[in-house]
Amino acid sequence: MSAVQPSDELPREPAMDEPRGGPTVLRIMLGNQLRRLREESGITPDEAGYEIRGSRSKISRIEHGRVGFKERDIEDLLTLYGVADEQMRAGMLALARQANSPGWWAKYNDILPEWFEPYLGLEMAASLIRNFEIQFVHGLFQTEDYARAVTALGYGPVSTDETERRVSLRMRRQEVLTGVDPPRVWFVIDEAALRRPIGGRQVMRAQLKHLLEAATLPNVTIQVVPFRRGGHAAAGGSFTILRFAAPDLPDVVYLEHLTSALYLDDRRDVDHYMEVMNRLSAEAHTPVATTRFLKEIIQEI
Amino acid sequence: MTSEGHPPARGPGEGTLPPAHEVSLDIDTSVAHVARVYDYWLGGKDNFAADRAAGEQAIQAYPDIVYSVRANRAFLARVVRYLAGQAGIRQFLDIGTGIPTANNTHEVAQEAAPGSNVVYVDNDPVVLTHARALLTGGGQGRTHYIDADLRDTGQILAEAAQTLDFSRPVAIMLMAILQHIDEAEDPYAIVSGLLDAVPPGSYLAISHPAADIETEAMAEMAVRLNRLMAEKVTFRNRAQVARFFEGLELVEPGMVRVQEWRPASEIEAKSPAALWGGVGRKP
Repeated sequence: MSAVQPSDELPREPAMDEPRGGPTVLRIMLGNQLRRLREESGITPDEAGYEIRGSRSKISRIEHGRVGFKERDIEDLLTLYGVADEQMRAGMLALARQANSPGWWAKYNDILPEWFEPYLGLEMAASLIRNFEIQFVHGLFQTEDYARAVTALGYGPVSTDETERRVSLRMRRQEVLTGVDPPRVWFVIDEAALRRPIGGRQVMRAQLKHLLEAATLPNVTIQVVPFRRGGHAAAGGSFTILRFAAPDLPDVVYLEHLTSALYLDDRRDVDHYMEVMNRLSAEAHTPVATTRFLKEIIQEI
Repeated sequence: MTSEGHPPARGPGEGTLPPAHEVSLDIDTSVAHVARVYDYWLGGKDNFAADRAAGEQAIQAYPDIVYSVRANRAFLARVVRYLAGQAGIRQFLDIGTGIPTANNTHEVAQEAAPGSNVVYVDNDPVVLTHARALLTGGGQGRTHYIDADLRDTGQILAEAAQTLDFSRPVAIMLMAILQHIDEAEDPYAIVSGLLDAVPPGSYLAISHPAADIETEAMAEMAVRLNRLMAEKVTFRNRAQVARFFEGLELVEPGMVRVQEWRPASEIEAKSPAALWGGVGRKP
């Protein structure tokens, strides 16, 4: 397991025509390529770290795409790995420059915890998002009122302005669902997350109706795990698995805590979470039964 | 619109729980599973360590398996396009769905002929869950999922009848699945049982790993897969696969290697895939 690293090396420059998902996935792609090149040349992370005046953990951060790239570091690493081909070097440096441009969320920097920023990039870039949620309705499906209530719970009585900026960031995130080439979104929700009346009954009822509507989007699948289906609690908590279209990008498991987050892409970790997710999806109501179940809860709330 | 193979709710309470959904969760990732091994060969990401190990063992015996599975998917797409297009078929019974990938049957069929109805059948709970979640169209025809084994043709036909009209032609798709039925289980009786239920003008499409192409490598791969996978395989030769089409009119070019069945390009035709494939029409 590796804890997320601060992204303080990210330069902030205005972006032009960045692709959806922007820098995060480019960083991961470039990081993957660098890892492959290093392994092929038989160089250890320590040796590579020394070459760029850093440590093995700096190499690890670079290879996992957790940080922005300094061009000089990339040049030195390519030389160390024996990459002499000018075209290839130029291509990778161009990728590094692109990967350094900020995403649309850069303007929310003041309210974005640094451990959350990479998630936004991954979410925007994913081709498939699988999520299991036990506490809340996921941010991608929250109504403004519900988001406001959740924000108040998480951050306490902060200024109206800050709350509104947080809500507005969340609403902006949701545009990915209906944009061009939207991701497949497959969410499994514990019944508890739907029963807890966050923001009061009115807000919650509107939220559940919103969820019902979202489920009709062709790229959205929602399944509820009802209380009467035992066993799924073994999952231990909420988690998200992000998948990317590029074949050599690994799935990433995202685990959020109160003051930090974990991003796991080690195959053993991912396998374990995927197995739990598969089990949850099989135990949950089917998408069609979920629609009926949601309607029942709306009646009862 | 997407629907599922369960009767509508009978009222409040337990009635909202489709009884068929009380699945026994037979999910074991410690043993290689055919759908996930296949996903690994296709370059998918829905596989686990045991699947990757078995997949690699097979690749060592027969490296071209990775081309074979791709050629098989391409064959499936060309067959469905032909059936929904030229043959005018609007109903598909796809048995052995597998983990969703690109060009799934309902996508190809509903693109070629909007309004086509597709029933997917698989006996694996995880495959089925993926199918329900991901094999959903955008309202261009019905898609339906059945949790059944190919050996239970009675159950498949009874449940499929909720979506498909068996008085009208149906295409029965058996893509790379019959190799999991050995001789003792009489695969020919299974296929003729399915064919008996559909009217004249219906089609049967089959692809089947070959025992008589790359004979030694394929035999070694079968040995390795049978050692590592829960579902065993029996590869068959040309004559044995052709027997499935007995009594049917084979669509041109007959039963050939899948890559040679109406290939879209010369590159496609030159794939080294070792599967027999064909499409037959019930007279």
